[in-house]
Amino acid sequence: MEYGELEAGQIVSRHSYCLDPTLVSDYVDAVQDDSGPLLDAGGLELVPAMAVAALSMRGVVEDLRIPGGTLHAGQEFEFSGAVAVGDSVDCVATLAQNSVRGDWRFLVVDCKVFRENDAEVMKGKSTIMIPAGLGPREVGQ
Amino acid sequence: MTQKGDPLPTIEKVVTQDQIEKYAHASGDFNPIHVDHEFAESTQFGGTIAHGMMVAATISEMMAAAFGRNWPESGSMKIRFRSPVKPGQRITTQGSVRRVDAADGISRISCTVSVVKDDGETAIAGQAEVRLPAGSK
Repeated sequence: MEYGELEAGQIVSRHSYCLDPTLVSDYVDAVQDDSGPLLDAGGLELVPAMAVAALSMRGVVEDLRIPGGTLHAGQEFEFSGAVAVGDSVDCVATLAQNSVRGDWRFLVVDCKVFRENDAEVMKGKSTIMIPAGLGPREVGQ
Repeated sequence: MTQKGDPLPTIEKVVTQDQIEKYAHASGDFNPIHVDHEFAESTQFGGTIAHGMMVAATISEMMAAAFGRNWPESGSMKIRFRSPVKPGQRITTQGSVRRVDAADGISRISCTVSVVKDDGETAIAGQAEVRLPAGSK
């Protein structure tokens, strides 16, 4: 894969994840969120919105083999449904823009997250800046 | 929390390298700018920096504290990462209600949000919105 060959509209990542209690608790611990869980109308514990957002980016980082030195310039999110602990989600990322300006390659990636019943729960847009001279990192690095 | 100018709750944390490494494991993002001291020292930042999404999580925490489950059910956020957060820095969220639009039994609350570091620099700035059933909080 060469970044210059990626085209807008191309699906660059597709993954499924289970938001099990361990994954959620690791995330909450990492971000020092001590506010306590939110509950839905039925009393189910909800996953923090940004944990879902972080998962939506996880496959992008892995599958595009984002190299060291890459910067995250901007982020948009729109949440349309809460996810309960234990739910599974599907994350799909599509390249929206690929351009080079100066010393940087700008990749704009649209991410969507769906629950198992195909209901969209989040969509987002990530702008990442990769040093223009760098390619994907080697597998295993 | 539905009047223009109302402040949002403040969230304050100290970012540590330990938290950054925990976030790398939780998110799967092991970019060496976050976790490899030798690599990070050779960059323009002179050392490791926190993941932008980790810092942005404090804004989400602030919105959840203000609007409860309406936030994950109907929230949106548009932010720019303005300057990096380094281990040892204290970060504080700032936010206020910028506009309230009510229609069809729903109030759309637009907020200005940011994360400011203890050196006074803004780490993240942007806008967030949430929809509330009329008459709630």
